[in-house]
Amino acid sequence: MRLSCLQENLSKGLSIAGRAVPSRTTMPILGNVLLATDHGQLKLAATNMELSIVHWVGARVETEGEITVPARNFIDLMNSLPPDQVSLTLDESTLTLSLTCGAVKASFRGIGAEEFPLVPEPDSHAGFTVEAAALNKGLTQVTFAASTDESHPVLTGVLAEFQGQSMTLAAADGFRLSLREIPLVDLVPAPFSVIVPARALAELMRITSGLVDPVRISTTRPHNQILFQMPDTVLNSQLIDGAYPDVRRIIPATSKTRVVIGREEILQACKRAAIFARDVANIVSLRIDAGELTVAADSSESGQGSTRLVASVEGGGLEIAFNVRFLIDVFSALDTPQIALELNSPTNPGVIRAVGDDSFIHVVMPMHLGHR
Amino acid sequence: MVRKIIHLDLDAFFCAVEALRDPSLQGKPFAVGGRPEHRGVIASCSYPARVFGVHSAMPTARALQLCPELIVVPGNHHEYSTYSHRVIAHLHNLTDLIEQISIDEAFIDVSDLRAPAESIAAELQATIMREVRLPSSLGVASNKLVAKIANNVGKKSSRGGIPPMAIKVVQPGGEAAFLAPLPVDELWGVGPKTAAELQALGITTIGDLARLPEADLAARFGKHGHDLVRRARGIDDRPVTSDHEVKSISNETTFAQDIADEAELKRTLCRLAESVGRRLRRAALAGATVRIKLRWSDFTTLTRQVTLPALTDRDDDIYRAAQQLLDDHRPAGKPVRLIGVGVSSLAPPREQLHLWDTTNQKRQRLQLALDEVRDRFGRQAIQRAIEVSRDPSDQEL
Repeated sequence: MRLSCLQENLSKGLSIAGRAVPSRTTMPILGNVLLATDHGQLKLAATNMELSIVHWVGARVETEGEITVPARNFIDLMNSLPPDQVSLTLDESTLTLSLTCGAVKASFRGIGAEEFPLVPEPDSHAGFTVEAAALNKGLTQVTFAASTDESHPVLTGVLAEFQGQSMTLAAADGFRLSLREIPLVDLVPAPFSVIVPARALAELMRITSGLVDPVRISTTRPHNQILFQMPDTVLNSQLIDGAYPDVRRIIPATSKTRVVIGREEILQACKRAAIFARDVANIVSLRIDAGELTVAADSSESGQGSTRLVASVEGGGLEIAFNVRFLIDVFSALDTPQIALELNSPTNPGVIRAVGDDSFIHVVMPMHLGHR
Repeated sequence: MVRKIIHLDLDAFFCAVEALRDPSLQGKPFAVGGRPEHRGVIASCSYPARVFGVHSAMPTARALQLCPELIVVPGNHHEYSTYSHRVIAHLHNLTDLIEQISIDEAFIDVSDLRAPAESIAAELQATIMREVRLPSSLGVASNKLVAKIANNVGKKSSRGGIPPMAIKVVQPGGEAAFLAPLPVDELWGVGPKTAAELQALGITTIGDLARLPEADLAARFGKHGHDLVRRARGIDDRPVTSDHEVKSISNETTFAQDIADEAELKRTLCRLAESVGRRLRRAALAGATVRIKLRWSDFTTLTRQVTLPALTDRDDDIYRAAQQLLDDHRPAGKPVRLIGVGVSSLAPPREQLHLWDTTNQKRQRLQLALDEVRDRFGRQAIQRAIEVSRDPSDQEL
């Protein structure tokens, strides 16, 4: 294998594929990144067996070949190089990859590519097409609500329901639910749903950020893997087995109080309140009176602070307490100028909507005062 | 406006309660305290015992040397807190401006009442004696500082061997004159160290201190100097604050012998966690930080803490965190002299509700049920399996 490419492209490509390299592994080959010539391009691939990312970089290929090299060292060196032409030459007999870039010379002891786990190749005809921007927005607004508690594997995933001409993403960690419907370009012939690890979707979110071209989504039969195909990248993830809770049952049908308020204003008020709330389990109170909403936090140890905001209030006044991190997460993820807060009582779930965007809904459980 | 402040202190409170529970103790030298063979100390001693020189915080072994016929009874804190609540309830019949500073001590602001403070004090003393059958002493003055010192002075001037039942009144305007002849260490904020420093300056009475130019004292003691002079002149603006804010709740115990046995340590930790949890729930508080305190055989002491993901007032949460801290910070087999559990970052208990899981609510109900059983039948009526040790003498705490 002999090829050359630009340091910039290789560095960027590795920053995408390298995210699938496990930080700790008992299989040495997984600590390596695959480099292979592929139709006049350089293919980079990494996997942790659950998540695989393949990325193609433009290159001038002189002779074909493939090798895996230790990912951490290769990536660190690449990021340290000047923006110049990088030449890679593989000595097949010693499995040593030599690199030159300007005055820099380096070599890496590799492991044969045949030992690298096979990464499934997408079938270009199967699947559904979604606009990258719509997908990225959906991921931004849903993925954060997934659980990080490994004792409930299903909840560490995001439910993706395919039906009609849309894909609905939903995540719930037990305390909040985020749900968004994303339009698909094609019609789904038979409805189905899968649970995708949130960690894989967090990577997809990074890759699709700023992407213009559409993304092709397909699943392997019988739905044990999902593939996201982009122009230069393919992300492939194992699916999570199990039954996802019935999330629609959680969404309250009615509300007694509805508050419409500037998103940025309430976000800033929550961030201020969080300063005092951090000593007291992140508790903030929202007090709703006619025409206003007050966000307040009170720590007996460090002090207290509150912000009073003008709001459009329908229905009765109410005081309710929330974990401020949950509020900051959802308000930051939204992009509409105004949000709506729909409440029933201090112990019932609150609903947060993006005003003017019906395809999003968020449900958050309050904190309950005492039990006496 | 001149305020009317009363300082109330129950006379030898624990002993007074014990004498009500067991009238045969009446008039005898006895004390509430730990057993001498368990390095116990005297928590409270009766007035007949005080004649022998026995005082609280003295090791029980020493007290028995001074007074061999001293009867030592174990403490009964549940009972004391019940009596304390009854006394406080009587105070609330008078006013809500009550600042309880300990189980047997409180300030009462009666400025808004028409009657003269001394007659209110006399009536209060009589009511508590009649209704709760407990002797008390009261100090009356225009502020907290002088009221408390007045009470101390009143108690000391009574004859020995019986409860003082004192009432000492300092008239408004007479504060400085009243304080002047008293030794300087009667003053709040003057500990042995400051007292020694003042002594070196030739200052032995509060009057000496009051006469010093404020600037001199400030130069020597900083801000503390200013405060000292003001107090020496009987000036104290602190209000009687009814919502005395608690910053942490903790409980600790010193072992009779140093303990290296892990099971025994964990049993103790569990009991301490339960007692802290119970106090939290009584105070309607929950905490986010759990800490343990460990003292090794060589008296070196360490405290380690952990912040929980959520506020809690439940015994099992406190115990689990404390046990983890013990596992993390005690080298295996290292003997422990003292162990303690505390909870801080307090706030009213608020619980993150769950979208569909109600396990937490179930654990909450379990805790409430446990509390109820223990309220009715005593702490040992129901216990965790880990607490049930083979040695019945271990069951006391």
